[in-house]
Amino acid sequence: MSDMSVSVSTPAVHPGSHPLPEAPAKVTVRNLNFYYGEHHALKNINLALGTNRVTAFIGPSGCGKSTLLRIFNRMYDLYPGQRVTGQLMLDQTNILDPKLDLNLLRARVGMVFQKPTPFPMTIYENIAFGIRLYEKISKSEMDDRVEKALRGGALWNEVKDKLNASGLSLSGGQQQRLCIARTVAVRPEVILFDEPCSALDPISTAKVEELIQELSENYTIAIVTHNMQQAARVSDKTAFMYLGELIEFDDTSKIFTSPSDRRTQDYITGRFG
Amino acid sequence: MLSGRDAAPDGRIVDHMTFPPRISLALRPGREIKQKRISLVQGIGVADMAVESNVIDAAGPYDRAKALSAFKLGDVTFYWITRLSAISVLLILGGIIVSLIIGAIPAMKEYGFAFLWTQRWAPSADPPVLGALGPMYGTVVTSFIAMLIAIPVGLGIAIFLTELCPQWARRPIGMAIELLAGIPSIIYGMWGFFVLGPFLANNFQPLMIKIFDGVPVLGAIFAGPPSYLSLFNAALILAIMVLPFITSISVDVFKTVPPVLKEAAYGVGCTTWEVVRSVVIPYTRVGIIGGVMLALGRALGETMAVTFIIGNSFRISSSIFAPGTTISAAIASEFAESDGLHQSGLILLGLLLFVLTFFVLAGARLMLLRLEKKAGK
Repeated sequence: MSDMSVSVSTPAVHPGSHPLPEAPAKVTVRNLNFYYGEHHALKNINLALGTNRVTAFIGPSGCGKSTLLRIFNRMYDLYPGQRVTGQLMLDQTNILDPKLDLNLLRARVGMVFQKPTPFPMTIYENIAFGIRLYEKISKSEMDDRVEKALRGGALWNEVKDKLNASGLSLSGGQQQRLCIARTVAVRPEVILFDEPCSALDPISTAKVEELIQELSENYTIAIVTHNMQQAARVSDKTAFMYLGELIEFDDTSKIFTSPSDRRTQDYITGRFG
Repeated sequence: MLSGRDAAPDGRIVDHMTFPPRISLALRPGREIKQKRISLVQGIGVADMAVESNVIDAAGPYDRAKALSAFKLGDVTFYWITRLSAISVLLILGGIIVSLIIGAIPAMKEYGFAFLWTQRWAPSADPPVLGALGPMYGTVVTSFIAMLIAIPVGLGIAIFLTELCPQWARRPIGMAIELLAGIPSIIYGMWGFFVLGPFLANNFQPLMIKIFDGVPVLGAIFAGPPSYLSLFNAALILAIMVLPFITSISVDVFKTVPPVLKEAAYGVGCTTWEVVRSVVIPYTRVGIIGGVMLALGRALGETMAVTFIIGNSFRISSSIFAPGTTISAAIASEFAESDGLHQSGLILLGLLLFVLTFFVLAGARLMLLRLEKKAGK
């Protein structure tokens, strides 16, 4: 939060289109449209995720924020009938390039889901699995990486004595941190969080939020959340979306204190949503 | 998406059901009393939820206690019907085992454990010489080859159908699989006899001999004079017959994998193959093994098609292209003309099949336990 003043301000000229920030952008979205079959789910989205910043996406259910997140790692590709137009760049890579190697893209853009999704294997294997996809390393190096990742996920002290237990034996909050550790282990550049705390209790939520803050030192983070306090707590920038449009995208402090759009104001004060 | 909400003309969103007012509504004094009155008018349905039981007593003639006592007899009957159904399974199973054992006693007395490793089967000799080694070998080998073929193919079809197949092709392929399960086994037998057998004898076996001639073990497995009736022919037919079991059960359990779990695996950069191997199959292994066991059970016991095409020879040959027999085929082809010790020997064969199936199922359980241990449960 401290570096909020550093981020370039993006005055909202009119909803749905913003001048792109000059600060180093990790992911750049230009004129992005998304369709579920006939349904036009995202309308002309323009924004940029700042490098090593946390960008929060808020808005009522069905506004398209999760949809947008799932475009960043081309997750929508798994399902037929979903298509996208526009431009989406990760540094110099065109994410929407049909010839792009999706596996390599997803190594660069990790994702943490709403529900904890440990793989049906041991805690150790849950972490090692992702690493093995990209690197051939010795057992001792692997042990090292697993420990580092679990420390990165703030889970090491809780699981170091039961690395061979099933990932499914952990509590919900631990499972979610295991998933974060698993994502970090692959050393991505961007991490997408899709409502990471909606299935967690308050203490686990606090831990995950703290973790997101720590991760933002090294990773570019996008987080979708229904919890506006959470968005205010963890993010540097906030995007408010409504009915598939990006209504307002600005510094978090500005969005939550003096939003320029009436709908943003109504939403953050609980008038709807 | 927007139930209870309207967009006001100025674009502002107006919500008719905002949260705080709802709370104040519930706390407003007088509310409860009003509800009581309404419930008295409307009857029991609302009263149950809104007010105390004394209101219910006053409300109507419906006496729950009386109703419960009426149900009591029904409950007892229900309990015993279900219990008897469960017990009947045990009785039938036990009855079959006991009658098999009783029928097999003469043969057991005559041959003892030597029955298990005697290859000769000469029921018309005096005294008859009977040994189960040939049929047991045939049963195990045909089922083994059948599973060797059916498991990868069946899983492959299931993976294709659930993970890779374009939407429009799913139904036709799925229906073809189910139809395969519906074909009577005698049809498979005839097809194996008239089509598959000649093809194997005239084309496939010569090819295998050409490739593997001189290779130590494999050469012997494929050697021998061509025969329309063979262990391999029966195994292939068995593979086709059990394929639908493996496929349809695998498809069903693959569908139970939460999409988000697969997305998570894709999210760390897995390919479809890696997702299937590391997430889908481990997640569904219990169901898959169940399907495989069902298929194996059918392969071990399948009679009609196998009797048609296996050749009914009790001699054990190293070649899988030689005629052989299985336990069920031997019983089916000889039981009608058997008597005395011969018949008892056939019943003993049946008992052996029973035991064999039991061990296979027990083995599957054991395998499952070990898998779970490995996964860290």
